This record gives sequence, C-alpha cells and structure tokens, in this order.
Amino acid sequence: MHTTRGTTMADKSKRNIDPQVRVDRLRKEHEQVVKGCDEQILHWKKVSGDYEALDDRLRTLPDHLSFDVMVPFGPLAFMPGKLVHTNEVTVLLGDNWFAKCSAKQAQKIVDHRVKYVKGELDDLLKTRKNFEARVGFTEDLEELSNKGSYVDIREEVRSKETVVTKGKQRVAHKPNSKPKLDTVLDLEEVEEEGKGVEADEEYCKILSEKELWAKLDQLEKLEELQDEEDRLSDTGDTNGDDTTSSSSSEEEKEADCSQPEKEPGPKTSWATSGPANGQLVSQAAPGGDATKDEDEQEEEEEDCLPTIYFSHTVEPKKVRICTGKNTTLKFSERKEHSLTHSKRKKKNNGTNGHSHHELHKITSPVDIYRLFVDVKNGEPVPRKSILKSRSRESSVCSDTSESSAADFDERRLVCRSVSHDDAPHSDTSDGHTEDDSPTALPRTPSRFEAFSGTVVEKDPMPTAVPHLTIAPPALPTILERKQEEGTTDAAPPVEPPKRVSKFKAGRQNR
Amino acid sequence: MAEALQKKLQSELEKYKQMQKDVSKSMSVRQKLEAQLTENNIVKEELDLMESSNTVYKLIGPVLVKQDLEEAKATVAKRLEYINGEIQRYEALLKEMEKKSEQHREVLSSLQQEYQKATGRAVAKV
Repeated sequence: MHTTRGTTMADKSKRNIDPQVRVDRLRKEHEQVVKGCDEQILHWKKVSGDYEALDDRLRTLPDHLSFDVMVPFGPLAFMPGKLVHTNEVTVLLGDNWFAKCSAKQAQKIVDHRVKYVKGELDDLLKTRKNFEARVGFTEDLEELSNKGSYVDIREEVRSKETVVTKGKQRVAHKPNSKPKLDTVLDLEEVEEEGKGVEADEEYCKILSEKELWAKLDQLEKLEELQDEEDRLSDTGDTNGDDTTSSSSSEEEKEADCSQPEKEPGPKTSWATSGPANGQLVSQAAPGGDATKDEDEQEEEEEDCLPTIYFSHTVEPKKVRICTGKNTTLKFSERKEHSLTHSKRKKKNNGTNGHSHHELHKITSPVDIYRLFVDVKNGEPVPRKSILKSRSRESSVCSDTSESSAADFDERRLVCRSVSHDDAPHSDTSDGHTEDDSPTALPRTPSRFEAFSGTVVEKDPMPTAVPHLTIAPPALPTILERKQEEGTTDAAPPVEPPKRVSKFKAGRQNR
Repeated sequence: MAEALQKKLQSELEKYKQMQKDVSKSMSVRQKLEAQLTENNIVKEELDLMESSNTVYKLIGPVLVKQDLEEAKATVAKRLEYINGEIQRYEALLKEMEKKSEQHREVLSSLQQEYQKATGRAVAKV
C-alpha cells in the first residue's frame, strides 16, 4: 500500500509542478553523488596507505635472515616467534591464485597495484569535482527562480500576425537577401518586451504592426538597393537605412538607375489579400521587380543566342498562341519589341496600347509572377514558386522553362503541336494545357511538318523530334510563343477549327 | 466495481514488486561478475609479469595447490571468457526484465487512474 501512496504522492508532486521542489531534489541528488564519491575516495586512500606500508615492509624484510616477532596466537594472545625465509613471499594475485615470489618481485607487484589504486583515486576526484560544480549550478538555478532579481524573459509569439503580413507581401525570391534590419527590429521588440515586465498584449500588437510595416519597407528598399548594386553596378545607392516608406522615394531611386527599371507601383498588383496596403504593395513590387528585372535583363542581354520568351496565360481565355485570335499575338509582338530594344525602359511598355488589361502586360519578370496566380475562390493568390509542378495544375499560367536551351528546343518542337491544342482550349475555357497535351500528341506528326522551318528562333531539330515523348507540360507556353512568332504569317487557318473541336471534345469527355 | 479494481491493483502491484526484485537480483549478479572480471584481468596481468621460476599456487578450500604457470595462465584466460559470457547473458536478461517491468508499470498506472476515478482517491487510506 505504501507504494500506492507513494505513487499518489508522486502524482501530487507532479501535478504541483513546482520548479522549486524539482530544483531541490536535483541538488540533493547531486549532493548524494558527491558524498558517495567522498566515501570511495576515503576507501581508496586507505588502500594506498596500506600498500605503502607493505612496500616499506618488503624493503626491510630481506635485511635480516630472521626477525623476532610477536606472532598473534588466536584472537587474544601473542607469542614470540621468528620470521624466517624472509625473501620468500607468497603473493595473492586475486581470485584465489597465489604466487611465490622474492621480496623484490613482490615489491614490483605492489607497485603495480599502487598505480591502479592511484588511477581509481584520480577518477573519483574528478567526478567529485564535476558533481560539486553541478551542485553549484543548481543552487544558482534556485536563486534565479526564487529571488526574482532575474526575470525570465518570455516573449509571446504572435506568429499569425507576422507570418501573415510578411508572407503575403514578400515572396522570398531571394531568401538570403533579407537585410539585417530584421534582427535589429526583433531585438528591439524583445528588449521592449523584456523590460516591460507586464507585456500587454495590445501593446505588443501595436508595436509589432508598426514594426512590421517599417520593417517591410526597409527590407524592400534594402533588397532593391542590393539588387541594383549587384547587377547594375551603376547605382551607388546606399540609402538602405531609409525608414520612410514612400513609394515616391523608391521610384526616384528607380529613376536614378540608368538601366531599365521596374515598373511603377500601380502596374504590379501583387495579389495580396487582407492586410496588404497599397503602399506596401507598391513597395513590394519594386522589390520583386528588381529580381525579375534582373532575370529578364540577363536574358535580354544574352539575346544573341537563346531567346527566351515569356508567355503566360494570365487568364484562361487569353493565353497562347492562337494565331489570329488573341492577345497572345500581341503578347509576342510586345516581347519582340522589348527584345529588339533591349535597353528600352520598361516604363515605356505601358504605352504599347494593348487592349489587355494590365495583367497581361508582361514587361518585366514581375509580371510573370503576377500572372502565376492561383485563382482560389475567385481571388487571385500569388504563388511563391512558378517552377514547381503544381503550377501546372492549378495555375493560370504555365511555367516558362528556365532550363537549357537544348531542352527548350526539344520541347518546343513537341509542344508546338500541343500548343495548338492548347490555344483553342484556352480560348474557349480553361487553360489547362497539360490535360490536353496527351490528346494532342497523336496529332503531332501531321502538325509538325506544317510548322517546320517557320519558327523565328533557332531551330536545330525541326523534323528530328516528332518521336519525342510528351514534353512536360511546363513548357507549352514557350513553345507556343515560338510558334506564335514563327507562325504569325504562316498559321494555317485550318488548324484552329480542328483544335477547337477536339478540345471541346476532350473537355466534354471530362 | 471499486473493490474489484482494488484487487486487480493489488495483484498487479505484487507482480510488479516481484519483477523489481528479479531485476535487482540480476543487477547484483551482474555487478559481481564485473568485479570478478576486473580481478581476473589483474591476475592475468600479474601472471604475465611472473617468470617461471617462482611457483604458482591455487587456493582450493584450505589447501594451497601448486600449479604450473602456463596452466594457471590458461585457466585464468578461460575463466575470463566465461565471465564475459555470463555478463552478456545477464545483460540480455536484465533488458528483458526492464521491458517487462515497464509494461507492468504502465498497467499499474492505468489501473490506478481508473481506481482513483472510481473511488476518488480512497487508496491513500493506509
């Protein structure tokens, strides 16, 4: 029964969860260990003392032929006697084994054992020291928890706020480029909360929001600056520490750059729901623009060899190729424009006079990201990665291949036919190119020949690829675009009606 | 209901105690074996140091029996192996016993909780 009581008591103590009790117990345990060590140390010291005496005795034994000694005779009496054969010693080796040795040999054995004892003693001393130190620590711990001169700094993590706002406004294009302001601001927050012992929730909230906005602004500015400095090497902006968050200031910075720069805020509609401010969006856009500008600029600069065209289906109807029908053509025209005038400033793109609404104007990498939007519940939600496979499924746009030009060409060829299917489909309803690609494949061979040689870009294997496996749906856009450009004139009007019908059929089958 | 639970609890408790005893017994045996192991190691070392000139005796009961040095070394080596084997066996046994006792502990605690719910902590009547 006592054990049950013991367990209930244990339960009680557990329920109390008194750190004080626990610390006490810890300390006691430590002290017990220290005591045990002490005892053992005593024991071993005694042993070593004995051995030393023995050593002395062994040394003196061979001095005489015999010794006169008082021999113990039973427990109570002694008898005078003599020690003879003093050089012969029978040594207990251990485990009931004996060996007859001379005194010197016995001495050697004794030395041996003394070494062993010393080793044990040293170990014990070390452990004792360790545990004494531990005892000291636990005592300090007790002080900490009890006396209250030390305050336990606890920061409640309001992860929802920070995560939501940050996540929506800043897509981690460059995850490593986050400026150190983050940490600085975090520290400030922590300090404030630590000092104010009563950290009111409201106070923290307000603080965090303000801090967040300021942080975001600074982050974006810093990122822009970094990007500019890195790539453009013209701008000498070092205003990374601006704390004022104004889109105007950023645009000024943009203007300073000699290179084609980001679009002004209004163009970029970073689909942020909820707390997204217009201000923040505009600021986020330049930050995002910077990265994409970089990409596009790099690509444009490399124009001489591979030409990378971004074509995105912003919304189902617009998309691709479809020669005579759509926006996409205009799309391509625009792209060619931008390509030919490589240094052309993106700001001028706004004057292209497209009938599309802004989403379809792709003049900078930002637009691409904008276009890659998951339409969820009617609201466009920005996606962080446009390269992942899921983009094909739910996204309105398909991936642009940023892979090598070789793959490019292959896929281009295959997808050319596919894109034909895609175009009508997209025209009519949803732009699910992947779905149609399998159905489109059987028709490739016929189409394929139709398009050979009409593509503007370099076309290494025009007819060598009909047997290619289904290209990953990731690339239909690029291929489409190429088709577009190639077939602006040569697009057979016969094709679209076929496509439409088959597409519709395909769709209806689903 | 409460009484039945109580009886169950008692029986489980007994079993658990028994297990604990077994565990502690095997532990002590194992410790003894370890001591013997170290001792035999020392003896082996000493024997190695010993030259063949001096005789080796073995204590069998009250009698010191003369032994050959080589024989003694061989015997000690065999004994060492034997001890090692025993230690391993006992270790395995100990592990099993630990597991069983853990299971018993869990059963006990669950039973206890039930009992407490049923009777409202009347266990601490002792």
